Amino acid sequence: MRKIYPTTIEAIEAPTLIRITDNFYVVAFRLMKLLPAHFILDRAQQAGLLDIGSIIIETSSGTFGLALAMICALRGYRLILVSDPVIDTSLKRRLEELGAHVEIVSGVEAYTGIQQVRLDRIKSLQEEHPGYFWPSQYDNPHNPEAYTPVAELLVEALGHVDCLIGTVGSGGSLCGTSNYLRMLFPQLTVAGVDTHGSVLFGLPDQPRLLRGLGNSLMPKNVAHMAFDEIHWVNAAEAFLATRILHRTHALYMGGTSGAAFLVSRWWAQQHPNATVVALLPDEGYRYQDTIYNDDWLRQHNALLTQLPEQPCLVSHPHEVNENWSYMLWKRRTYEQVLHYPFLGGQSRGQ
Amino acid sequence: MAVSEVDLKVGHGQAYAHHGELLQGMFADEQGYLHYGLVTLPCMLFHTEVTFTVTPNSEIIVEPATHSKAFQAAKLTLHYCNRSGHGGHLKLNSNIPLKMGFGSSTSDVCATIRAVAQACSFHLLPEEIAQIAVQAEQASDSIMFDTQQTVLFAQREGIVLEEFHKPLPVLEIIGFNTDATGQGIDTLTFTPIHYSHQEIEAFRVLLAGLRKAIALHDPYLLGRVTTASAYINQRYLPKPHFDRLLQLASKTGALGLQVAHSGTIVGFLFDPEIAELEERVQMILTHLFEMGFHISHRFRTEKRTSPRKNTA
Ligand SMILES: Cc1ncc(COP(=O)(O)O)c(C=O)c1O
Repeated sequence: MRKIYPTTIEAIEAPTLIRITDNFYVVAFRLMKLLPAHFILDRAQQAGLLDIGSIIIETSSGTFGLALAMICALRGYRLILVSDPVIDTSLKRRLEELGAHVEIVSGVEAYTGIQQVRLDRIKSLQEEHPGYFWPSQYDNPHNPEAYTPVAELLVEALGHVDCLIGTVGSGGSLCGTSNYLRMLFPQLTVAGVDTHGSVLFGLPDQPRLLRGLGNSLMPKNVAHMAFDEIHWVNAAEAFLATRILHRTHALYMGGTSGAAFLVSRWWAQQHPNATVVALLPDEGYRYQDTIYNDDWLRQHNALLTQLPEQPCLVSHPHEVNENWSYMLWKRRTYEQVLHYPFLGGQSRGQ
Repeated sequence: MAVSEVDLKVGHGQAYAHHGELLQGMFADEQGYLHYGLVTLPCMLFHTEVTFTVTPNSEIIVEPATHSKAFQAAKLTLHYCNRSGHGGHLKLNSNIPLKMGFGSSTSDVCATIRAVAQACSFHLLPEEIAQIAVQAEQASDSIMFDTQQTVLFAQREGIVLEEFHKPLPVLEIIGFNTDATGQGIDTLTFTPIHYSHQEIEAFRVLLAGLRKAIALHDPYLLGRVTTASAYINQRYLPKPHFDRLLQLASKTGALGLQVAHSGTIVGFLFDPEIAELEERVQMILTHLFEMGFHISHRFRTEKRTSPRKNTA
């Protein structure tokens, strides 16, 4: 029977599974963050925390904010988004069109620590609006729990998955999906994709050109013990991979999709007998003037002509160089990895 | 409808046992409403046979008298078949062990419903039997469906939540009762489980796995599903030595474990095509014996057998 979706949310949140090669598949989302936004707000509604006119406060200048704004527009919730100044104007217009109030925190010259400033602003907004609801995607366990539809899709379509690869921002998508898949496939290899300047897997915090993945703070939803492998992909590499994904497969996706594609394509080539799946979080339209624009890439010193063929294997996060690198995380905790005696001599970290 | 003496007839009914469930939990329907549901593992080692003779007086005599739910089932079926004023003589013969999770009660109830319906010249669909069965005993397994027809069954409502349209992959099951005292569980005193929302989410993925295992005829994926379901159920009705049994399953190359979610039996699932099956089974039996479990049973999910049909 042909399905009729009850609302736009259900229609857009459902991802598409596409075969790239014999052993390599991608889960392409139009807007992945609809899944956790939808699940978190449904649970809050069921718990009696939300009603028409309720105020939702969140910090986001990206896809999670957009997902929230879409649902709030349909359900009549009032949304206040606290954002940093890097928010692109067309997204800001779209959020406002959906009825969200976008608050830009300013007066912060240095990029580093802006997330903390955003969190501080949230605190004061919360004092202004008692009875608010805070979805808190970084720490809310309902974020990873929202990914059953992805696990269901993979189980039902493929019957078996050997390796799942995705980018890590809040950790929700990859930790959530893999947690469900491992109920059936405990051996599943999980490879997380992070970027340079992100603290998630032990690198120092720095300004990042590649947005959406990585983090300056450590979210509770990053379950370090879920990861077998961690890759660090720099912005230029991710952007070129995004373009190549479009050129070769006509998949018009965002920059984090490019990062996931770069790593997963390599992984699938290395393991021809394994079924490899990558999560591609959003579409390319938001990035037409940036990632898909050579002038912008050149201005930002992020125009590459060739992708590295393979990553550089390191044994400790401190060994990571500025290019695509990876290490075997081996399902350890952050502390176990970072405090593991570091024996390398040639690293800039020592 | 007026009933004449000519209508007084004898009916026969039969129903198999089951060996617990492949999957049991809570599942959303298309509208998103949640239902308790299960997928039964039929077991043709044991069965119940029932004979029912309609009498014009309203008394129902059950023999042996211990089968109390059968009495209720007979009464409800007579009513359903427009013979409310009638009674009859119900004779049950069952070799199903009690209170371990073999579904002796549902088997009694189903065989009774079939026998009574036949005596009344009614042919009931499995869906109708299911409705009468849950009225008679509050919660039923889905043994009223043909063993070829795997269904996700709402055991407290008597309705089919999903049909899988294909038989199960053929499995070899080595089962035993984890409760050596034989006291067992009374399904009626076992209150409905309050699953966490994480578990309810997890059941969606397990159900997807079951669908795929049946569609692909993949016994390995099926073993993963049953093991995961058994694992979740450890929070509610734990089987003793569960970790040791899991280890034994993986050591012997079993597909996984499978349990009676409201009983005490556990099964090791094997692919009957696996090399050295007999050696593997022997290893299981030796370990079970060492653990104090001296009695076991063994059966296969059949390609084609079903209880005698009521052809009224
Ligand atoms: C475009 C994009 N890709 C990837 C991610 C990372 O996903 P997650 O937060 O589930 O780790 C995000 C998170 O915001 C995102 O916006």
